Parts: sequence; C-alpha cells; structure tokens
Amino acid sequence: MERALKLVAYSLPLIFAFAFLVPLIDQGMQALGMAAPFGLSTLTFALIVGAVWGLIAQTTGRWL
Amino acid sequence: MNAHTKMVPDDLSQLSDGELKRLELKIARKYSGKVPWIAVIWAFGNMAVWLSLWPLVFTGLLPLWAAFPIAIVNMALVYLPTHEAQHDIIARPGTKLRWLNELVGHSTSWMIVYPFEVLRVTHLDHHRHTNDPELDVDITVNARGPWHALWRIVTQRQPGAKRNSDYAAAIYRAGRTDLILLSLAYKLGHIAILGALAWNGYALEAFFLWWLPYHIAITYIVFFLSWAPHHPGTEQGRYRNTRSWRSKLGNIGSMGMQFHIIHHLHPYIPLHLTPAAYWEMKPILEARDCRLGI
Repeated sequence: MERALKLVAYSLPLIFAFAFLVPLIDQGMQALGMAAPFGLSTLTFALIVGAVWGLIAQTTGRWL
Repeated sequence: MNAHTKMVPDDLSQLSDGELKRLELKIARKYSGKVPWIAVIWAFGNMAVWLSLWPLVFTGLLPLWAAFPIAIVNMALVYLPTHEAQHDIIARPGTKLRWLNELVGHSTSWMIVYPFEVLRVTHLDHHRHTNDPELDVDITVNARGPWHALWRIVTQRQPGAKRNSDYAAAIYRAGRTDLILLSLAYKLGHIAILGALAWNGYALEAFFLWWLPYHIAITYIVFFLSWAPHHPGTEQGRYRNTRSWRSKLGNIGSMGMQFHIIHHLHPYIPLHLTPAAYWEMKPILEARDCRLGI
C-alpha cells in the first residue's frame, strides 16, 4: 500500500499532464484558432507536448 | 475597545525586563479574546463568490475574462481566515464556538489545495523555528530582493523543490504522518476535478477559474506573508525574527503584513487589530530593539 502511494505521489506530474495539461493545450489551441504542425490534430499535438513536458517534470522535478 | 488608551509611560528606560514584558502582555490582551467575525464573514463570503463564478461562467452570464481576476482575488483571500483559525483566534479549544473555528479552516482551505491541518501544523512549526536555516518551513523563500523572492517562490513550488520536503519534515516532527496521505488526497482530488472539467470540454474554465488564479495567489500570499515580513530572514529570537515594514501596496494590499511582528509576538491577536496593537506597543518594541520600518 505504502509503495503504491509513493508511486502515485512520484507520478503526480505525469498524472497532471495527462489529466489536465493535454486537454488544456488542445482546447487552448482550438480557442486561439491555432493549427498543429505536421498535419497533426490539436489533440495529438497536445498529447505529445503534454507527455514530453510531463516526463521532463517527472524526471527533473521541475516544470520550469 | 479604545486603541488610543495610553498604557505605555513616556520613559521606558527605567523599566525592568519583567515590567516591559508585563506591559507588552497587557496591551496584547487588550486586543485579543473577542471573536473576529470579520474573518468568518470573509471566509464564507469569499468562498461563496468564488463558487458562484462557476455557474455564472458556465451559463454565459459572466464572461471568463471577467471572472478570471475575481477568481485571483478570491484565491488570494482564502488563506488569512484559515490563518486566524490555525491560531485558534476565532475560538480556542473547549470554547462554545470552537466548531466555527474549525469549520472556517476546514471548509475553505481546500480551495488552495491544502488540508487545514497541514496549514496549521506547518505554520505553527514556522512560529517555533522562524528563520532557523534547518527547521523553518518557510526558509526556502529567503531572497536578496523582491524579484529574486518571486523567482524563489515559483521554483520552490516545483515537484522536486526543497520546500516540499521541509513541509513533510514539519509534519513528521509533529507526529502527524496521517497528514501526508491527506495532502496527497487533496492533490489528487484537485487534479481529478481539473481533469474531469477539462476532458468534458471545460479546460479553459478550469484553468482561468482555479489553476492559474491559485498559482498567482499562492505567489502573492507567500511573497507577502513569508518573504516580506521576515526579510532578510537571517535573525532569530523573539524580537528580531520578523519586522514591521512599509509596503508599496499599503497595509491592505499586503494583506495586513506590515505589522507582522505583532503576529509573531502575540499570535492570538486578530489580524484586523494588529495595526492598533502595533502603534500602542511600538515604544516597547523600540526598547526591545525590534526591526521597525514604520
């Protein structure tokens, strides 16, 4: 149980990225009328950015 | 209560340490002991306004751009009523209105994603160890100046920041390891609500009504409550670990923190009475060689 909780605590940046950051980037781009590069959909682009950013925050301990 | 009733003699140089202490305590008691209803109304009024923003925005009655600054103000106003409750100022344990003290704390602190007990335990620990480089939970905001402080406040909110482990250490010191789990539950709950809103098409609403106002407000709160009144945060001891100072935003704009020294000396005095207590106590504070900027 304790191990599972530590894993959840450790994974908070990734959880945040997929739960909130991805749809936020997607809907933000749509609201601003921005197109994703390389013919990607805004959601696919948001998934890539969110996953990479979340992974960086997860491994470095910093979003900025 | 008449704040101008003079208790302090003109010449304090002849008073002993004990006499000064008694005089200080007499003034402090004059400003304490009454229920600060303003904090109670503030707590629930502020929460009601913030909660009302959501249906107003969802139904289109209020545009998101107009709700955003209101949400920032709401988030910035959450902390201080809980702070009164942390110090049992609204009602002490065992008194008739104790439930109200606890209700104010527990029912509003969730807006800034902290369990009330975590705020209480860590803040009281800050009072015990103010400016101690090893033990003060707020020591990580020490900075050369205001811009450096803002940067430190943002960086110390990152997932791997020392401030997080300092808070956890304070919780362990208090023997309240249960609060670690509760803090995690609050964080997960926050992400779950933001995520549920976002994946249902309300990501921008969640961002501008909660996430961003929360981060702006926390930066503001930590700047004025932790950094500014303790700066440079190097001295310890009852009369030197905090100060009075003049804020460019005034006393209201700095959330009453110009007189933070009174709060550290007598944490049972309600926030709205600290200015009056300060002016009356000032000759004693001068005699004690306190750091006074006003």
